[in-house]
Amino acid sequence: MADAVRHQSAEIAASPVRLGLRGMLPSFALAVGGLMAVALLAVSVGPVDIPPGTVARIILDRVPGLSVEATWPARWDDIVWELRLPRVVLAGLAGATLAYAGATYQGIFRNPLAEPYLLGVSAGAGLGATIVIVSPVAYSFGMLSPVPAAAFAGGLAAVALAYVLSRTAGAPRTTTLILAGVAISSLATSAITFLLVTYTDRTAPVLSWLLGGFNTATWSRVALLAPYAIVCGLVIAPYGRVLNVLQTDDEQAAQLGVPVERVRFALLALASLATAATVSVAGLIGFVGLVVPHAARLAWGPDYRRLVPMSAIGGAAFLILADTLARTALEPREIPVGVITALVGAPFFLALLRIQGRRSHA
Amino acid sequence: MTKWLSLALTFCAVFLAACSDSGDGGSPTTAPAGRTPEATLPVEVERSDGEVLRLDKPPSRVVSLSPAVTEIIYAIGAEDALAAVDRYSDYPAEAAAFEPRLDAFEPNVEAIAGLDPDLVIVESDVDGLVGALDRLGIPTLYISISTDITTLDQVVEQVRLYGHVFGRESDTEALAASMEERIAAVTGALEDVEEGGGPRVFHELDATLYSAAPDSFVGDFYRLLKAQNIAEGADTPYPQLSNEVIVERDPEVIILADEGFGESPDTVKARAGWQNVSAVVNGRIYGIDPNIVSRPGPRVAEALEQLAKLLYPDQFGS
Repeated sequence: MADAVRHQSAEIAASPVRLGLRGMLPSFALAVGGLMAVALLAVSVGPVDIPPGTVARIILDRVPGLSVEATWPARWDDIVWELRLPRVVLAGLAGATLAYAGATYQGIFRNPLAEPYLLGVSAGAGLGATIVIVSPVAYSFGMLSPVPAAAFAGGLAAVALAYVLSRTAGAPRTTTLILAGVAISSLATSAITFLLVTYTDRTAPVLSWLLGGFNTATWSRVALLAPYAIVCGLVIAPYGRVLNVLQTDDEQAAQLGVPVERVRFALLALASLATAATVSVAGLIGFVGLVVPHAARLAWGPDYRRLVPMSAIGGAAFLILADTLARTALEPREIPVGVITALVGAPFFLALLRIQGRRSHA
Repeated sequence: MTKWLSLALTFCAVFLAACSDSGDGGSPTTAPAGRTPEATLPVEVERSDGEVLRLDKPPSRVVSLSPAVTEIIYAIGAEDALAAVDRYSDYPAEAAAFEPRLDAFEPNVEAIAGLDPDLVIVESDVDGLVGALDRLGIPTLYISISTDITTLDQVVEQVRLYGHVFGRESDTEALAASMEERIAAVTGALEDVEEGGGPRVFHELDATLYSAAPDSFVGDFYRLLKAQNIAEGADTPYPQLSNEVIVERDPEVIILADEGFGESPDTVKARAGWQNVSAVVNGRIYGIDPNIVSRPGPRVAEALEQLAKLLYPDQFGS
């Protein structure tokens, strides 16, 4: 079976690039349209009842050259422009990033269980944030908070450490890397736990950071994440063919002219960078990076030239929907969005596996 | 809701003759300062887990794993009986300096037992702590602050309870009565205000917008103050509110219990989308010491007075 997969991947790898890309356009357009529809829905609903028509007029009002008679309270303008829109955009960016990073990780490790937190980004970021929150340094979740910076640094440090550790071992590289990542994750997680029980007066803020979410999303956070999310995504996307080649074994990939080690390192670094940026503004949101690439693979096949962009679009739509549930299901209360992604994601994942199983037995 | 309150105290009608017990080895005429001889013993208290704790004499080696109860013990002058406090017992200053200190969150039963206490006070049964102490035969007074103390009235009852436990009824009664008077003075001054006729209030527990619902202990302050708590309608005592809900419900006063975590009136004013919120427009954002509003201890009356001034500056002007 593994051989069959490799064989198939090798065929994909060898197939001309242009054919695949052209065939992609219709489904790509469809997916983008779907994402737009989801985003519109998310902006129109919320715990505060603003009629969708009014939401549309509030948005159109700020489009240059358009003027709409403002018949709504000023507060609604704030809610739509300063709270809901940045929230939807941030959730979309975070979902896209986690999903394409997950697809990239799965491609690099040839492992369906790989996800962007595999090498310790999440635990490292969590440790960085926790250290700042329990330290006597004044911190705030506001704009100039040192928390996202510490989380970002911690996430990258964890992956870098895992990478360095894995190089000192001699066994097959990717396996060692995963093991090093697991070890670093456990180490960072136990450090977080120790800090949590040591500084119990800080437990609540640490936990609410770790749970993550978009309740306090702002345009400035969008501005923090967007460069990493977009640049890393645009750089990774053209490597779809290389990721296809990597699905064969390293030797074959090298024969096909891929500098395996270098490419693997570069893609890993990019995916981790984007993930660290996401975690630093959104906290730890699980399941998106694991489930969405699989769903995309099921819908559009294993070709990484499609898989990476389609995962990004699907991840954005999925997390926007999950966050919409998070802020509307129990209003006026919020539910941590990570709870929803797991609650929706796990059964969805199982359903996917069933479908996949039926297909392969048919 | 409050099993222990209704059933809490059953007193034996046995008045001990003054200084009748010489069992402590102390000289009858030099009883510890302040120990009132009219102690009504034994005391029976129903704990939060339904068990009944019986104390035949006032405890003298007490481990308090509750910052709130530590405050009560100092306020009623029973601190000589303390053997150890938990690490968050930081008020009054003597309590903050008290040694040894234990961890109420990760309690080490062996460390507690090593102090040979004759009473351990527990406010939260972490990790099977109460069961472990029971098995060791250590008298344990467990009253859950999350389920059994949800109103200011219950705090006053709690103060009276410790007066009985420590056999210091008369000192305690003075404190309890003064707390009741101060609370009644505030609520009395607001008699003419309709239920919910006060300002709209958002009580912020942290910057991710956790708040206190009306039926929580913190919410009881605002209920007594007849304020409109904007966390109304949430189905948990301490819910995380949606950002847009807060803006829409437009609080007139914002109370920050998270200044220790770097929030301030300035950071609130700078929040995106909040610039049209009444409290921001009118500059009515105030910090409060989270310990006095969240700890069911003797300072709740003071907290109520502070909040009354912030909510009704004209009526309670400083």
